[in-house]
Amino acid sequence: MTAPYLRIRNVTKRFGAFTALDDVSIDIQRGEFVCFLGPSGCGKTTLLRAISGLDVQTYGSVEQDGRDISALPPAQRDFGIVFQSYALFQNLTVAANIAYGLENRKRPKAEIQRRVAELLELIGLPDSGPKYPGQLSGGQQQRVALARALAVSPGLLLLDEPLSALDAKVRAHLRDEIKTLQRRLGVTTIMITHDQEEAIGMADRIVVMRDGRIEQIGAPLEIYHRPANLFVAEFIGAMNLVPATWIGPNAIRLGAARLTCEAESYAPGAAVRAAVRPEDIICTGRANGHANSFQAEVRELEFVGPFFWLSLGGGELGEHRLRAQLPSQRARELDLRARDTTHLHIPAQNIRLFPQGVGHG
Amino acid sequence: MAELALAAPRVRPRPGRDERLMGGALALVALYLIVTLLAPLLLMLAKSVQDRDGAWVGLANFSAYFGNPALSGAIGNSLWVSALSTLIVIALAFGYAYALHRSRIPFRGFFRLVALLPLLAPSLLPAIALVYLFGNQGALKGWLFGESIYGPIGIVIGSVFWTFPHALLILGAALATADARLYEASDSLGASRWRTFTTVTLSGARYGLIGAAFVVFTLIITDFGVPKVIGGPFNMLATDIYKQVVGQQNFQMGAVVSLLLLLPALLAFLVERWAQRRQVAGLSSRAVPYRPKPRRSRDLVALALAVAVAAMILGILGMAAFASLAKLWPYDLGLSLRHYDFSAADGGSWASYGNSLRLALYTALFGSLVVFVGAYLVEKSRVARPLRTAVHLLALIPMAVPGMVLGLAYIFFFNARGNPLNFLYGGMALLVLATIAHFYTVSHLTALTALKQLDPEFEAVSAALKTPFYRTFWRVTMPLCLPAILDIAMYLFINAMTTVSAVVFLYSPDTALASVAVLNMDDAGDTAPAAAMAMLIVVTCAGAKLLHLSLSRWLLHRTQAWRR
Ligand SMILES: Nc1ncnc2c1ncn2[C@@H]1O[C@H](COP(=O)(O)OP(=O)(O)OP(=O)(O)O)[C@@H](O)[C@H]1O
Ligand SMILES: [Mg+2]
Repeated sequence: MTAPYLRIRNVTKRFGAFTALDDVSIDIQRGEFVCFLGPSGCGKTTLLRAISGLDVQTYGSVEQDGRDISALPPAQRDFGIVFQSYALFQNLTVAANIAYGLENRKRPKAEIQRRVAELLELIGLPDSGPKYPGQLSGGQQQRVALARALAVSPGLLLLDEPLSALDAKVRAHLRDEIKTLQRRLGVTTIMITHDQEEAIGMADRIVVMRDGRIEQIGAPLEIYHRPANLFVAEFIGAMNLVPATWIGPNAIRLGAARLTCEAESYAPGAAVRAAVRPEDIICTGRANGHANSFQAEVRELEFVGPFFWLSLGGGELGEHRLRAQLPSQRARELDLRARDTTHLHIPAQNIRLFPQGVGHG
Repeated sequence: MAELALAAPRVRPRPGRDERLMGGALALVALYLIVTLLAPLLLMLAKSVQDRDGAWVGLANFSAYFGNPALSGAIGNSLWVSALSTLIVIALAFGYAYALHRSRIPFRGFFRLVALLPLLAPSLLPAIALVYLFGNQGALKGWLFGESIYGPIGIVIGSVFWTFPHALLILGAALATADARLYEASDSLGASRWRTFTTVTLSGARYGLIGAAFVVFTLIITDFGVPKVIGGPFNMLATDIYKQVVGQQNFQMGAVVSLLLLLPALLAFLVERWAQRRQVAGLSSRAVPYRPKPRRSRDLVALALAVAVAAMILGILGMAAFASLAKLWPYDLGLSLRHYDFSAADGGSWASYGNSLRLALYTALFGSLVVFVGAYLVEKSRVARPLRTAVHLLALIPMAVPGMVLGLAYIFFFNARGNPLNFLYGGMALLVLATIAHFYTVSHLTALTALKQLDPEFEAVSAALKTPFYRTFWRVTMPLCLPAILDIAMYLFINAMTTVSAVVFLYSPDTALASVAVLNMDDAGDTAPAAAMAMLIVVTCAGAKLLHLSLSRWLLHRTQAWRR
């Protein structure tokens, strides 16, 4: 593996007695698209500001492209940045905004103009150069902000919730555009978001944060299917978390059901939490041909278009509850109704176990 | 892990060029404020516990002051006269603001304009006009039933005149931002009009009322112009400082009185800051603006009040104008411009008018520059947090310092032997410095407000684009804040034209000022030329205001492409 482009080592940030970042270490490869994901106040912006030098960390180091930039002021680092608020210069035209960083580099006028035209083309606003930011829509303004940041070809692109101020449709559209642009330019990118769909859809790797600490770093699939802990399991996507007992080897008791799973072993009789995604609970109706099956009653049935939400309880589940997703087409085949009793199957590899009570109550 | 982090060395951010420049500029602004504000004030505090020769005497000056009823009587006088005037001003201004913002009277623009006119005049002007109206040869002398205008009556009326617009601006702001939903709620609960008025209108404006009351009280108790001209034998604190210093050369006693004057001003300052914060906090962003519906009885009363107040203001201004034009009051009322030729008058000249103009221009130019740069560094620079806080706190001091006190402090500081800045004494530069310091706070807060409206990440973007901060300051921050900068310049210009209190201690024969000339001519009995000079100031300020308005409008027009 090549040396990482960005090495963040043991970064801690204190605001007085408050610790906003606690011993954070991340390696980011060249050309990678990384999302920082976490609830509000978990320190995402603080970490980004440490990387950019806008608010230097209290302890720890940041290396970019083999250069130690830990203590450098922002002007001596190599990054472009885009904010939720766009931060466009309202009194300058779109073209002047994009040219802003270029003009300072004493480039010939013609070259600057060419570059601005190129960037306007790139963001799909070829005719908007003479307009003022106030005359553009939110999505267009954010694209201009992106072009302004990219104009000077930074080695690192930092995006702090660039899509949060936009409405859903524009957001989805711009999300794809940013992703495409990033692929095309190959610029190493860090994007902050607290929208997990956004992170899963865009990132090569996701850094899940909580309370100033990293909970997990991994590719979207990995984070989704193999959450490292209870917090990540609950934070990303929908997840059933039910108390169970380890009866080993590779088996738990959930209510009256015995389920096998692939997990490290616990002490016999240990209380654990079983984590199962709703879409991994397969409804087999009357048939019961699988090993990992149990019987339960459908308490509620909620139609949401492509699938149904099933609320399961009773039967072998006892007082435990599970929510399952049942594809609409399959539901039609089974002709499932509320109060029906049905068989359910969970593949062993889709059950994850977490120690009871650790990390989350 | 925690031990590991603790053992690691703390990262010390390395300053780049931007950071060093910003830090340096910030230090300069701090130094500027220390020299032109803090150091003089501290020295004055020291003087109050020294004797003439500078030896420490503890509280001897204070006991001498309080042991002398002729002196300490001024405290009571100042307090009750200021309190009474404040009460009247607040009542009138509240009614007027109510008429402007909560009723449907016609000609609101006109009434607003008239109410703000006193801002353009030195506080000496109403006092002079009152002399003409109610003085020994006054046109309306009979209205006083034998009472003399020279004394508390004159001081109260004069004070009410010139502080009225200050109260109106604050109360106007408080009443302009009503939440219609509260009125609807009150209506739907079947509350009577009076109950709606007391529970919704009054309580909504309560912070405005408190704030305005304290501002006005401070303005009056620290004002020197009105009691000087029309106070007669009635002692007030502000006039006492003047008498002690200019009359008796007793600087120590002047310092003692100054300290006493600082107390109410300081208190008022703190209360006002508190009230302002509450006022802002009380406004939710979802408030629905209230539009008054026509109601005949209320509108008629409101109109009557507005007309009466406007008539009084115009009457006083008109009296001053007429006095300056009448050939020989009250014997020959033919009009002439002869009082505008100040050569015969004692203590005034066109040269002093020229000086005032220069003072106002320099103050506006240099002052708005210093203030804006200072506010920018406080608000936007990423460096030296403690220094930024210090500069901000320093900038707030002038609000709590009466002009007389500042002027006296300047004498102590700049006239001190051994002060390398001694050469400034008596010069125009010192007058400019004093005037900027005197009116620093409001300018600073105006600049901060404008700067806070800009996106907080401009500086971050600029740094990311490797553009020096001063380039972004010049190309983005300044143009975006230009209207506010113009407002500051205008504020400084008008105040420099009209102020008397600080500069009265600091001018020299070469730098005599128009506002001081009004005072001196009036003192020498040349009342008509004094009125003429006061009118000259009013006209100049009005002209400047018009220029400012057209400039602002032109700017708005030119920049409307990008202003949303
Ligand atoms: N300058 C500061 N002084 C003190 N505390 C701060 C400062 N900046 C941030 N914090 C605190 O640090 C924590 C992390 O803040 P940060 O802005 O990094 O959160 P975030 O993850 O970006 O949240 P959001 O999703 O709301 O933007 C918060 O609790 C915040 O209150
Ligand atoms: Mg944030």
